[in-house]
Amino acid sequence: MTTYSSVGKPITRIDGSNKVTGDSLYAGDVQLPGMLHCKLLRSPHAHARIVSIDTSNALALEGIERVITAADLPTFNPKRMSNRAYNLLAADEVLFYGQPVAAVLAVDVSTAEEALDLINVVYDELPAVLDSLAAMEEDSPLARAPVTEIDRSESKGHVSVDVKEEQSDKPSNIASQAKFSRGDVDQGFDEADCVVERTWRSAMMHQGYIEPHSTVADFNAASGELTIWTATQGQFFVRDQISNMLRMPETKIRVIGTELGGGFGGKIFLTQTLAAVLAKLAGRPVKIIFTRKDDLQGATPSAGCVVDLKTGMKKDGAITAIKAKIVYDAGAFPGASAVVGAILLGGYYRFPNLEIETYEVLTNKVSVGAIRAPGAHNVTFAIESHMDMMARELGLDPLEARMQNAVSEGDKMPSDVPYTRIGMKECLEAVRDSDLWKSRGKKQNGNGKARGIGMAVGGWLGGLQPASAHVELNGDGTIKVVVGANDISGTNTSFMQIAAEELGVPLEMVSVGTGDTKTAPFAGMSAGSKTLFTVGRAVKEAAEDARQQLFNIAAERLEANPDDMESVDGEIRVKGSPDKSIPFRRLAGITTGFGALYPPIIGRGAITARKQAPGFTAQVAEVEVDEETGQVTLLNWGIVQDAGFAINPLSVAGQMQGGATQGIGIGLWEEMIFDDKGHLMNDGLLDYRMPTALDVPNIETQIVEVPSEEGPYGARGVGEPSIIPGAAAISNAIEDAIGVRVTEAPATPERILRALGKI
Amino acid sequence: MHRFEYHAPTSLDEAVALLKEHGDGTKLLAGGTDLLVHMKEGGLHPPRVVSLHAVAGLDGISFDKSEGLSIGSAVSMGDIEANDTIRQRYTALAEGAGIVGSVQTRSMATIGGNIANAAPSADTAPPLAVFDAIAQIIGSGGAREVPVIDLFEGPGSTVLAGDEVLTGFTLPTPPANTGSVYQRHTPRKIMDIAAVSVGVRLSLDGGNIGEARICLGAVAATIIRATEAEDALAGQTPSTELFAKVAELARAASSPISDVRGSAEFRHHLVGVMTKRCLDVALERAQEN
Repeated sequence: MTTYSSVGKPITRIDGSNKVTGDSLYAGDVQLPGMLHCKLLRSPHAHARIVSIDTSNALALEGIERVITAADLPTFNPKRMSNRAYNLLAADEVLFYGQPVAAVLAVDVSTAEEALDLINVVYDELPAVLDSLAAMEEDSPLARAPVTEIDRSESKGHVSVDVKEEQSDKPSNIASQAKFSRGDVDQGFDEADCVVERTWRSAMMHQGYIEPHSTVADFNAASGELTIWTATQGQFFVRDQISNMLRMPETKIRVIGTELGGGFGGKIFLTQTLAAVLAKLAGRPVKIIFTRKDDLQGATPSAGCVVDLKTGMKKDGAITAIKAKIVYDAGAFPGASAVVGAILLGGYYRFPNLEIETYEVLTNKVSVGAIRAPGAHNVTFAIESHMDMMARELGLDPLEARMQNAVSEGDKMPSDVPYTRIGMKECLEAVRDSDLWKSRGKKQNGNGKARGIGMAVGGWLGGLQPASAHVELNGDGTIKVVVGANDISGTNTSFMQIAAEELGVPLEMVSVGTGDTKTAPFAGMSAGSKTLFTVGRAVKEAAEDARQQLFNIAAERLEANPDDMESVDGEIRVKGSPDKSIPFRRLAGITTGFGALYPPIIGRGAITARKQAPGFTAQVAEVEVDEETGQVTLLNWGIVQDAGFAINPLSVAGQMQGGATQGIGIGLWEEMIFDDKGHLMNDGLLDYRMPTALDVPNIETQIVEVPSEEGPYGARGVGEPSIIPGAAAISNAIEDAIGVRVTEAPATPERILRALGKI
Repeated sequence: MHRFEYHAPTSLDEAVALLKEHGDGTKLLAGGTDLLVHMKEGGLHPPRVVSLHAVAGLDGISFDKSEGLSIGSAVSMGDIEANDTIRQRYTALAEGAGIVGSVQTRSMATIGGNIANAAPSADTAPPLAVFDAIAQIIGSGGAREVPVIDLFEGPGSTVLAGDEVLTGFTLPTPPANTGSVYQRHTPRKIMDIAAVSVGVRLSLDGGNIGEARICLGAVAATIIRATEAEDALAGQTPSTELFAKVAELARAASSPISDVRGSAEFRHHLVGVMTKRCLDVALERAQEN
């Protein structure tokens, strides 16, 4: 086994102290001379025609510079208007509660807020389509004009699947659909000894990042240059989109991805174009900072979903068939990739017979976007509950039943694409050996509360996108790494480890910086569990390139063969002759000093990723359920995840704990609640409940390492899988505790009491 | 937040005069944990805010066996939670104050604000009611006293006139062998707001229940006393059957609505369960005292 000196070691994040002390600069910290503050007037209706907008009273308020409506904005090709991004402000019709209708530009935030109340909009209310299943009926009213074009460029940053989705040929609320089949499901169910058929519902929920959406835009009319400071996971994506939308060359657009206060898939591209357009119209810099209410009402949450699922299993544990209909509620614009859900639903286990239909349905709710593993937790809630129920009914061990049917390398997904090497079974093995899983059935109930343990697995395919990096030798012999990837999860710390490893220098000699789109080498968006998987490879390649350049120069100076060089303790030396060496500092001098003999050292790394390395996790929940109140208390949580190779085990464990915590939130609390008119009822963090520190139990993490083919040192994506199985593990633990099944996530006390028949 | 006029009077007289002059749209500011949130995010735009921060004498806690407990309206939740006398003799009140918001909230939030805000879910309201607390009020017409249970007219609304200030509360000394408790149901452990809350006080007389108070929160437009349930306890020997019957009476007394924090049926159910549990705890505490 290879031994490493820098990678594989737990390192605290290089950006950690600045975050803790408040020294990090976020987009909201950017202040420019003459800057205006923008507030958006949002629709009070889920679906209505805009009859008129009168902005005169707002404009009369002291401190108000401009009030902008759709009439003031550039117009786009009507075909593009199916895409949420192009709907900067609603023009004739509002399609969801909270959709922006007008933008106020004022000298300060409070004045802008005050002016919102002075804008008079006359609406003509239209019927709101809110239930995704009813919306699929032939005679359902339409939530909106049928979509003309679906732009999947953003969601492709999160996961790469090559399946053609179909669009409806007649006016319908179904934005896209796909069907997968294999074998003969009827025959499969005939062969089964146990068939379970249930409907599983999971709520629309929010990514819940700490920092709300934040953007500052500055347009220089003289030079024609646009500069944008923004909280984004993908600064190059933002640049490309603005360039397309506003028909500006990318040379004139500089996007500076600032320190990010969480993204979880929800911080890609939302307010940047609007800010740019407003800055251009006003001739002054414009800042848009969302409030929490703005974010809950009008960002891009995660789709709600209904899964009708039927599965069969034989007495010996062999699964026989799966038949399913998946319906994602996308809200008012396409944004839920239905295909991925189908691939995962039927893709964890070797179902010989399979028939899965999947739909993305439009309703008059805020339109959805990506979340950590978009669409995965919804379908995993269904399939992982079924595996438990079938095993339970047949008297089989739920973990062994999973092991028996689990996919491994070469097994085909529902899309017929074979898996590369994956670690699902290794995760199950680790759970099997864990103390928490072994304690099943051995703990006493007490105080009228019942204890239970449940488990579930989750997997995520991951995204693929090219990436590049530079590694340079500084004038003092230290190392500079420049990347274009926005660091959302500690990736820059891992890049430091990679560069140090390849150059044979201590970590202290390496700095890593994320440049902006004008200065940094290209990277795809930090999403799809692929930043380390792709950009990490580019950094490794760039460091190797720099090392070779150093070897070549050192070899010439030392009159030796470049192939005989090694890098140790900050110097390049001839292998086996430690006295024949040249320090990095000296190499820096002869490559950067006046009259230097050699050109500067600049290593180049540029890669494209072609082979997915799906990441799997298995998690265990121990719960205590109060059967009189329906309250669930989590006692313990265990998570095992395949990291391929953990370049920074501390960072990987942090990702696992964070994702597990979000999964717990999905399982027990997080739910966007709409009334029968489509108004969001919980637009603050009091009633949109995310778990607090007291609600989350100790989370025991265990990393397993099944190397990927392409990732650096065998690393695979670790960001997303951890969020996936939480709701299913909790549902399974609840049934273990109280013998009833809650088929809706989150499993609120009220839903548990209903399942128990107590209300 | 919209622009507003700000006043910081240094005496109650000055505060009352300001209120009298400017009328009903004026809001009083104490800890600000409700008011500022409403002004920033809840669409509340008062033209005028009168702060009580500079008014002296509203932040004391005193206890005297014959006089009972006196709490100024500007006493913080944190100070109530930490007060030994309240913890021992008025346990339910310490529990109610101690569960509001977060540590930071409790350092700012005041008991007067919690009551004057008149949320049916206010965590100090049922505890004050079970101890027969009297609200002290001062206005341009002079001082007056109103039992806390009679203070509320509906969500966000009290009997206080536009020129009146809530200055504090007096709570009689509970009889010996008294036990009290406050519990609430929230989906999360902390940083939450009651879907149902129950305050109970039992004062034992020998082996029997002498005096009983049951006050329910968040299950009607205001907090409510479950008086039939209380009457069913008086003079009785505590037993599981009795408590079950009383819990059922409390359940019948509640008239919850369905909202984002739970359906009416759910809340109804919880009133029974929680009343029963609170009776058990209150009895145990009464027997220990």
